Amino acid sequence: MADLTSGKGKPPALSTYSASQIGTNIMSWKRICGSGDIAVNSLEKFNVDGIDIVVANYGDGFRAFPPVCPHMEEPLAETGVLVRCVLTCTKHLWAWDLKTLELRGPAEKPLKTYEMKEEGGDIFAFIDQELVYDFDEEADDPDDDFFSKS
Amino acid sequence: MNINVLSKAGETSFTCEEGETLLFAGLRQGLTLPYECATGTCGTCRARLAGGEVEIPWPDAPAFAKIKREKGDILMCQCRPRGDCDLKIPANVTKSVTDDALPAHRKGIVKAPRRLTHDVMHFEIQLSSPMSFKAGQFVVIEAKDVPGRRAYSMVNYQTGTQTISLVVKRKPGGGFSDWLFEGNIEGEALEVFGPLGQATFQAEEDKDMICIAGGSGIAGMMSILECATSSNYFDNHKGHVFFGVRSPADAFYVEELSRYVAAAKGGLEVTLAFSHQPPASSSDDAFPGLTLAAGMVHEVAAKTMAGRYGDMIGYVAGPTPMVDGAIRVLITEAALARDCIRYDKFA
Repeated sequence: MADLTSGKGKPPALSTYSASQIGTNIMSWKRICGSGDIAVNSLEKFNVDGIDIVVANYGDGFRAFPPVCPHMEEPLAETGVLVRCVLTCTKHLWAWDLKTLELRGPAEKPLKTYEMKEEGGDIFAFIDQELVYDFDEEADDPDDDFFSKS
Repeated sequence: MNINVLSKAGETSFTCEEGETLLFAGLRQGLTLPYECATGTCGTCRARLAGGEVEIPWPDAPAFAKIKREKGDILMCQCRPRGDCDLKIPANVTKSVTDDALPAHRKGIVKAPRRLTHDVMHFEIQLSSPMSFKAGQFVVIEAKDVPGRRAYSMVNYQTGTQTISLVVKRKPGGGFSDWLFEGNIEGEALEVFGPLGQATFQAEEDKDMICIAGGSGIAGMMSILECATSSNYFDNHKGHVFFGVRSPADAFYVEELSRYVAAAKGGLEVTLAFSHQPPASSSDDAFPGLTLAAGMVHEVAAKTMAGRYGDMIGYVAGPTPMVDGAIRVLITEAALARDCIRYDKFA
């Protein structure tokens, strides 16, 4: 979730938070486009305040994720195909079920996603910081010290 | 030289001879090192050099642009160790436990080169020792007078053979294809490493097949068709082959394809797709038993196969845009499972 204290001086007591007061939180919900702007089974790339994201319409909903495949940084807006809720990168067939985010095919890493919501005919993504994959460490698990020994 | 490996599967090691690349040394000793092209373009054999020193004979290999050299990343297919080395490899590296023939270094002599079209050459290599390979596999070859290595799929299929057949399409400015096409290469010596590659077919498969190939990408499909035909595979399974070339004059292996179609007695359909010169009709006496179509080969395949897919294995080979298009068709329209789509990524 958003850092509720950043840049706002002294944070109010937790119990006093309400939707109208969580300024950074509200600021982090970004309107991406209209709900009808992305056809079913298609991917669109957007730049939201300097952050590239790809938004997919998998039929039952939308997912927003970083623009590169977590495998070998292939550009998913071009290399990805989406059919029957499954996003597949055509380069090496890494795939994810966009409904459940389960890994499919030879995929070894999860797809990182931004939280999304639909409201008043528009879709919004919660983007408080850019999601990136760690291509050096080869593992998102902080307990995995593979490559970190030097 | 001793090479220690730390991978996701733990520690292992292999030895490397003077002048040998890390990848080939590990593969011939049965390690499951990650690789695809084995010739410096795909970047799949990335590793991090955690200790020791390597030399890089071809620092301009395209895949170096895909890795972080400043952090010590190397391409195992391009590096020769100068002494003992420690590698960290982002994959599960274990000793292979399959019965498959391990790849090995062999000497080869070029035999019987012949031009199939103005820019396609077929030739054979007489190997210094017999090699067994699966249909669809490739070898990496190196000629003494030409820098770099190239990967070519076997056209023939035979177990324990000392002769392999390859086909090469001339690339403008390609050093190796210039060497092949401009000189008399009969009797020239080559270094051969293989077999390599995962896009294989075995007669034990129990599925129909669809093959989509462009240009010299037909090579591995020819090997698959030979293997399937010799085991009467098409008696019980359907085969659909789509072979894309620019024009009728660019087609090759027509006689062989016609023979496979005839031998399959209805089990095999072969379509030639001409991208730049539409055929006058869908059949022609010059292409007996073959269907002719106009368009990009993956689009022709999609159109021809609509509503006719089933439980199939898909093989894809050719230029990168065609491969990407064909894989899209196999995922979206054929709905093939990911492990039923087989190709080796060379770029």
